[in-house]
Amino acid sequence: MHALRGDTEEEPPSMLWGLDPIFSAYARLYIKDILQMKESYQVPGIFFYKLHPIFKVDVLGTVVYKREREDFFCYGVDDSTGVINCLCWKDEQWKEHSGPVDGSKSQVTSHGGFNPADQLKKLLHAQRCSSHLEIGDVLRVRGPVKTSRGQREIMASTYYKVTDPVLAVQISWMLEVPQLYRKFYDKPFQLANSGQGSDVTDADGASATASLLGRASRLLKDFLREKAVERFRPYDLQQQLVPLVSSFPQQAATQQEPEATQSASKQLHKLFRETLQLLQDEGWVFRKVISQDQVYQVTEHDKDLHRVTRDIVRVDSKREKYAERGCHVLHILSCVRERYSRNVSKTVIEVVLKGLECNSEIISTTDNHYTVL
Amino acid sequence: MLPSPGVFHFPWEISSDTIQEGTTVRTFGRLKCYQPADSQAVLSSHYAATQHQVVVHTVFVEPFQPILGAQYIVLGELEITEGDGLRVRARVLNCVDGVDLTILQSAINEQRRYFNHREGGTDIQQQPP
Repeated sequence: MHALRGDTEEEPPSMLWGLDPIFSAYARLYIKDILQMKESYQVPGIFFYKLHPIFKVDVLGTVVYKREREDFFCYGVDDSTGVINCLCWKDEQWKEHSGPVDGSKSQVTSHGGFNPADQLKKLLHAQRCSSHLEIGDVLRVRGPVKTSRGQREIMASTYYKVTDPVLAVQISWMLEVPQLYRKFYDKPFQLANSGQGSDVTDADGASATASLLGRASRLLKDFLREKAVERFRPYDLQQQLVPLVSSFPQQAATQQEPEATQSASKQLHKLFRETLQLLQDEGWVFRKVISQDQVYQVTEHDKDLHRVTRDIVRVDSKREKYAERGCHVLHILSCVRERYSRNVSKTVIEVVLKGLECNSEIISTTDNHYTVL
Repeated sequence: MLPSPGVFHFPWEISSDTIQEGTTVRTFGRLKCYQPADSQAVLSSHYAATQHQVVVHTVFVEPFQPILGAQYIVLGELEITEGDGLRVRARVLNCVDGVDLTILQSAINEQRRYFNHREGGTDIQQQPP
């Protein structure tokens, strides 16, 4: 009867749930919605509010019901839209200290001095006060939603008593939650690169290309790292991307008409060029000498470059000019260009410096300064 | 069993014409008087040039320290009594003196506006005049 409009739609497959940011947040839903949202048929314990997968919530409300058990409190929380039970576990520490806590106030032994034992007692007392509520107090609870004996309840992972003498917290909550609903919870979640959205073909095409490029660069990086390649010529590596291109055409052919006519080898070549450019921009690879023979150095495995850079930092950081803060990255860059290769870019040097720092051969003193110990 | 939720009502909305007996309400007002013998308190508020009064039955929240003239918030069920008419049998009666009533009202309205919009604007009877 109160079915929300989105409920009739098919729930998204569980593999995609994690991509919805609301899934990993504590959703500030109205208790009414927590009680009414539909449970997933794929995974019990996950609920759906307008196709947003939800399993943990964040509520604030007045305690209108209270039951105490040996291990936990059960508070009924009312946020003026609904009432839900919140299971709040007692802290283990209470049981041991439950006796002395009350007496702690009277036996203050040392005046002025810092007594850790007393402070700990005070802390425990404060903790206990903030988790021991009476009817009429305001409670804030975060935790997963569970179903117990046919009733929904919140299994508190955090809870505390809110001191709200002039309703400021509650009012700001009441003003904020509708905004959250309008901006996030009520809006359907759209996957950025999902293949199903037909209305966003353009954006889809672009993101598909971007993700292809990402996959290609990842593939090359993995290959270079795995085989510890020091230098390569493009045609040696191009074959690595073949599996990506062969899986790509069906998708690309429909969306990018002019390119559909391109042969697979041309596509491969284009993708490889773009990937290589990306790796160069990221400082992953560089060309030591620009010549007919295209040889690319892999920054990470170029031992000479590392040695030269390390020597520059070691020697120059002893100079008076750099003694205090270390060498600036641009200074290192110009030295490397002088001694090693004119074609080294700043990003390449940054990759080298980062690598040296990871090996504790140099240390950074600021964002841009490096020195040796 | 859990009680039903205390929906916010403005004091000037509480009348037997619009709200059924037994409805759980949450409202506010200044404590005008308290009669411990009858377990009865009166909250009053000023709206649209009229003084509105809500009678509160305090037997569930006693003992309590009445502060005359302070703002209180009350949560409880509406009941119809002989003679006195409508009163709220309070389950919660909290002193909230210092509360900014203007912001509270706008927060209540904001929440109502959201639900009205979501439910397709059908629920207009709770909209304040």
